[in-house]
Amino acid sequence: MRWLRFAVLISLVTVLQAGLSDIIAVSRLNIKPDLLLILVVFFAIHYNQPEAIIAAFAAGFAADIIGSAMGTRIISFGLFGTLLAYLSSVISIKKMPYQSLVIFICGLLTGVTGHLLTLIKGQPTATNAYAIIFWTSAYSSLLGPFLFLPTAWWMRIKTHRYERH
Amino acid sequence: MLFTWLMLGGIIFLLAPQNVTSKFQFAFARIFRWPLSIGRNITLSARMEPQLTDVVSRRKYNQLQNYLANVTEELNCEHQKAEELSGLRNRHPMEGAGLMLAEVITASADGFIINRGQNDGLQKGQFVLGDNSIIGTISDVSLRTAKVELITETTSNTAVQIGELKTVLEGDGKNSARVQLVSTKHKINIGDNVYACKKPGLLDAPIIIGTVSQYSRSKENPLLWDITVTPACNIQELNDVAVIIMNPQK
Repeated sequence: MRWLRFAVLISLVTVLQAGLSDIIAVSRLNIKPDLLLILVVFFAIHYNQPEAIIAAFAAGFAADIIGSAMGTRIISFGLFGTLLAYLSSVISIKKMPYQSLVIFICGLLTGVTGHLLTLIKGQPTATNAYAIIFWTSAYSSLLGPFLFLPTAWWMRIKTHRYERH
Repeated sequence: MLFTWLMLGGIIFLLAPQNVTSKFQFAFARIFRWPLSIGRNITLSARMEPQLTDVVSRRKYNQLQNYLANVTEELNCEHQKAEELSGLRNRHPMEGAGLMLAEVITASADGFIINRGQNDGLQKGQFVLGDNSIIGTISDVSLRTAKVELITETTSNTAVQIGELKTVLEGDGKNSARVQLVSTKHKINIGDNVYACKKPGLLDAPIIIGTVSQYSRSKENPLLWDITVTPACNIQELNDVAVIIMNPQK
């Protein structure tokens, strides 16, 4: 892992998520893709377990900083990012539809876990939280695989997508 | 082992008090203030559409400005008369209040983070204005930044008055707020103005907070109205706000 590039990437994505993702928000619920979730899945798929675990917790910390309650996303991203890292060492997730499905499932699981932890912490949550979680996961899953390519380029890794063997 | 340590860190963050952990959020907002502001400006300009229905002619605008000037002057005259008759000197409402202009750094459904804090005289509970209407209160404050709890948030409870009736406005988390403690004996009309009530040390005069956009009998208790209040301004499109500081220290 190129850690400096990772630090720049996570800072940039956090700022984009906080300040600019409203541009592509849709519907009255203000649904926008979760760029940090997409990063968690990317690192779980393309890196070894220790690196993927650190990336998942770092992305969770970044998500908490721009969210409402600290601690909820660190735990949910860390937990499911770690599980995905172990899973991807057994099953190869290289095709875009599978990547999309993984982002969707991870979005649902991290969203629900984060919501429950927010309730446990006694912080306010949206009344229509589950609808927001579902549509955010769906939107992220549509966009995610396309964002993997520029992320792979930035992190200088080969995805082998267009190589002939 | 790595997972265990990182998870432990996450649990510490989860269990730590919000006023401690919010320092990280404020620090992020302060460090990345410029890119966040630029991003927000880009978002707002991308959302901005020319709405011809919102435009009034210069003639109409001047008429409204003149009307406002006349009403203000009339109020001044009445105030002087009242002073003469009562023999008491009273000051105008909001005379001792100062407005601290602030820029919105980040905006989300969880509230705003603004670029003013304790150093600028901000304190918890102070009212925040957007387009001359109340949009929320200061819920958390650091030295140079503060968090605004919007009236539309589910945790928000604001004392309001609709006409002569005093009640409580609660945010519904969907860009509007609701009043649910009004008996159906009271007459409510769509378009009625809703004002934030006076609060000693924080607000000297009622200020508009929104208008009644919908009302019906409550499903849980048919003897009460379920009133939906739309904020007086489009909160999510605000770039600048003003915090009301009563009796500011000069």
